[in-house]
Amino acid sequence: MAASALDIRDVRKDFGATSVLKGVSLSLAPGEFLVLLGPSGCGKSTLLNMIAGLDPITAGEIAIDGRVVNQVHPKDRDIAMVFQSYALYPNMSVAKNIAFGLEMRHIDRAERERRIADVSALLQIDHLLKRKPSQLSGGQRQRVAMGRALVRDPKVFLFDEPLSNLDAKLRVDMRTEIKKLHRRLGTTIVYVTHDQIEAMTLATRIAVMRAGVIEQLATPQQLYDEPANMYVGGFVGSPPMNFIPATLVENGSALAVRFAVGPQGAGGEVTLPLVDTPAAARGYVGKPVVFGLRPDALTDFSDAEAMLRPHGQRLDVEVDVLEPTGAEALTYVTLGGTTAIARVNARRAVDVGETASLLADMSHARLFDPDSEQAIG
Amino acid sequence: MTELSIHGGANTASARLGRLAIYGALAIFAAFYLMPLAVMVMTSLKDLDDIRTNSLLALPERLTTFAWSHAWNEACIGTECTGLAPYFVNSLVMAIPAVAISTFLGALNGYALTKWRFRGANLIFGLLLFGSFIPFQVVILPMAQTLGFMGLSSSVAGLVLVHTAYGINFTTLFFRNYYVSLPDDLVRAATIDGAGFFTVFWRIVLPLSPSIIVVTVIWQFTQIWNDFLFGASFTSGGSQPVTVALNNLVNTTTGVKMYNVDMAAALIAAAPTLLVYVVAGRYFIRGLTAGAVKG
Repeated sequence: MAASALDIRDVRKDFGATSVLKGVSLSLAPGEFLVLLGPSGCGKSTLLNMIAGLDPITAGEIAIDGRVVNQVHPKDRDIAMVFQSYALYPNMSVAKNIAFGLEMRHIDRAERERRIADVSALLQIDHLLKRKPSQLSGGQRQRVAMGRALVRDPKVFLFDEPLSNLDAKLRVDMRTEIKKLHRRLGTTIVYVTHDQIEAMTLATRIAVMRAGVIEQLATPQQLYDEPANMYVGGFVGSPPMNFIPATLVENGSALAVRFAVGPQGAGGEVTLPLVDTPAAARGYVGKPVVFGLRPDALTDFSDAEAMLRPHGQRLDVEVDVLEPTGAEALTYVTLGGTTAIARVNARRAVDVGETASLLADMSHARLFDPDSEQAIG
Repeated sequence: MTELSIHGGANTASARLGRLAIYGALAIFAAFYLMPLAVMVMTSLKDLDDIRTNSLLALPERLTTFAWSHAWNEACIGTECTGLAPYFVNSLVMAIPAVAISTFLGALNGYALTKWRFRGANLIFGLLLFGSFIPFQVVILPMAQTLGFMGLSSSVAGLVLVHTAYGINFTTLFFRNYYVSLPDDLVRAATIDGAGFFTVFWRIVLPLSPSIIVVTVIWQFTQIWNDFLFGASFTSGGSQPVTVALNNLVNTTTGVKMYNVDMAAALIAAAPTLLVYVVAGRYFIRGLTAGAVKG
């Protein structure tokens, strides 16, 4: 097996009595794009700083390209970092900024010039080389900051919320650009963000973090389809996954979820049969579970839709709130006593107070233990 | 500077009267504050007869630079009639290295205290801050003993040491407060780029510091140049700074009191600090407010 680009083994970080990282482990193959995703204070930036060597490690091991770097100075770790604030040296021109790391490594002038030219052409900043950072726009500064990292050609790139200072439009553009760069250069990247859309679009794998632990480490699609717990299901996806309190019942040879429909259960109870239930679910028969269903698996019921979704179950429920967004309307209904959101074709949306016929695609159902909040099976 | 009109802009008679009163009062205050300087300059350009016969505020009858040249290289200070020139040189030889060294060390301290926070950094900063509240008089005796022990008594080098040591508190305070607002990410980025403590200081931090350097230099130069107590306590004879020499010139003249020479000598002694303010004054204001506004 080839050496992994980055190995993190049971890494911990304590500040006095408070634990910021409570034992994090992960391994990254060369060329992977890992996103550390989580709310502020979850320890993702601390982990990144520890990989960079800017924060000491309390316990555990970090290895880059097979070499343990716990005691290695940041400059010798073969990493480059792009900061949220860009951290461009204000007193130096763009060219000097990009070349500073090379100069510190005593790379001769001709080689420096050549590499500046390569990188600035790649990032389309060749016309800015003589300017000072204060004369650049936000997007240009961002490019220079990336150029400063790229020119070094390190083993691992570290990005600390690099797009959060840009306006919405530019953020989307730069996101695409980073993705293209990754495709083209095949570099290994660790990228910190709290923006789940950024994470989903960029990552080959996402580590969802909360309070110093990794809640789930998976590909974006796995994360979306099979969240390991209710936290991940709620954090990833917009709007988040619906969590419907239900009871697991036997339905012939299969299992089904049963829950009340409508406000105060006005619509009576429904029993929706499950598909491919995990063996572990058998132990929950007759007990309360949380039935998780993505809003896009809860859609308007049309005959065509029903044909396309063989495991679709019909559900009639009164609409509480309607939020049209153009192509689709977010339809808020009450299921199992809590609010659930359905993504409905805007042209077939039903008005508030009327009864909508919704289609629940049971092949995307997910069951959670209501106490541990972990997925069942 | 933009002009803000606080009043509605009603150009009434009472508003104009108010303006007139404000500018009138300002003019009176300005004249009042400038009067001593004007008297000094005028007196220094008069001859003694003129001073005796005419009023203090009268313009000179005949302009003469006698008093200036006399004060510069003929007036007797104590028993030596060399004028202020050699003492002026002493002051320069004292102030320039003391200002340079204390400013440099202050910058280095401020940088270390803010960007390389080590265990106990806050304690050290607190002690330094405490040092700037110790009055001169308290340290005179131990300082005299220290200088004697080091063989620097009664020398300009001794004064350089004293002023440097006493100035570090202030210079560190200035630089520390300035560097607090420099983003830490700059240092982190440079660290990853491979720059060490001094490389970051020389290549990144110091080039971002001209305004605070100017503030510190003005402050230190004024303090050190104008110092009288240390100069009078730790030096004697030929190694005295100009402030002490001025005092001796004014106090020990025998015979006729030469007011014009006294005035010229005082102006000569004050000239360098004035010059520093004029040359670097605009940076001073800019530097004092730096960091108050983002950007």
